[in-house]
Amino acid sequence: MKKIYLIALLALVGGGWSHAQTNAAAVSTSRAPTIITSERADFDLAERHAVYRGNVRVDDPQMKLTCEELTADLPQSGGQINHLVALTNVVMDSVDEKGQTKHATSDKAVYDYNVVNGVTNESVTLSGNAKVKDGPNWMTGEPITFYLVNHTLHTMHAENEKMLIYQNATSAMVNTNTPVANTNLPVANTNFPPGTIQNIDLMTLPQSGPTTTH
Amino acid sequence: MKKTLNNAVLVLSVVAALGFCVVRAQQPAKGHANDFSSVEYFEPPHQTSIKTRLSGAQAQPQGELLVIQQLKLETFDSNGVPGLVVKAPHCVYDTIHGLASSAGHLRLETADGSSHVEGDGFLWRQTNSFLTISNNVQTVIEAGAKKPTGS
Repeated sequence: MKKIYLIALLALVGGGWSHAQTNAAAVSTSRAPTIITSERADFDLAERHAVYRGNVRVDDPQMKLTCEELTADLPQSGGQINHLVALTNVVMDSVDEKGQTKHATSDKAVYDYNVVNGVTNESVTLSGNAKVKDGPNWMTGEPITFYLVNHTLHTMHAENEKMLIYQNATSAMVNTNTPVANTNLPVANTNFPPGTIQNIDLMTLPQSGPTTTH
Repeated sequence: MKKTLNNAVLVLSVVAALGFCVVRAQQPAKGHANDFSSVEYFEPPHQTSIKTRLSGAQAQPQGELLVIQQLKLETFDSNGVPGLVVKAPHCVYDTIHGLASSAGHLRLETADGSSHVEGDGFLWRQTNSFLTISNNVQTVIEAGAKKPTGS
């Protein structure tokens, strides 16, 4: 019984633009639809490709997004969106299963969904002045990737690129713009009280992580 | 070229229907068709399968243009599985260039009802299946819809 509840919960709070989560895809859900609105749009119905322009807004049960341009690969009947690219003034708000909000801004956001060998990969990659406010914490990086299945945040950055983490909006706790390239230590080991920042994994380049960037 | 021929067949069938009305009404200059329907078939080897079905409450030619009221366009794949349904209360169809346009409303939905697109003002380029909606676009994607079965 608990397992059923767990699967249902996972399906419900999965996040992102999809309703399918790992092996919970077969579970029937009464999930609200995803609604995309814009001033105008072009649809290439042969290639199943759409471009929305002007005050674009995506309303999803787990995520709200606004931007100026959004391209989408349209799903087959009964399927779901598996690739979205949001451009210009991207603002994204989501709520996780604990009710904690994430507020993200960037110049570009790429959503990808795929299932490989039964494993669901679902992510949103932010780039271009990317910033995430996760509860009381701020994070910047290039790029920042949300992994929506396990609710983790990753960032990969080059040596000279800026990456800052603030515990609060007013006080900087860590500035990894100083030499960090040779350290593989999670930055969260510094001055943060245990558990202050959760689900944030900071990595340095070169790295062949699971992130798919476009 | 074949696509153009298919378009021509589609248009000709509507025009033929119009012509029939014209003959009956003895008004060669102003023919129109009521409750018309026209189908387009796939190219071989699926030439017996319907590719699109165009229907409407009324169609009236105006030179190279065809003014259609209550347009309904249905698409199918080569196995007969329905794909999209397009509805527009009013539409002008350019028979030469395969362009359909209107300042009015458009609704496009998947046959299983899992998704639909609505908006005001559109241009449809039949030759490359390209649709532009110019105002108030809304796309709704329902989760967990079932795939349609062949008709």
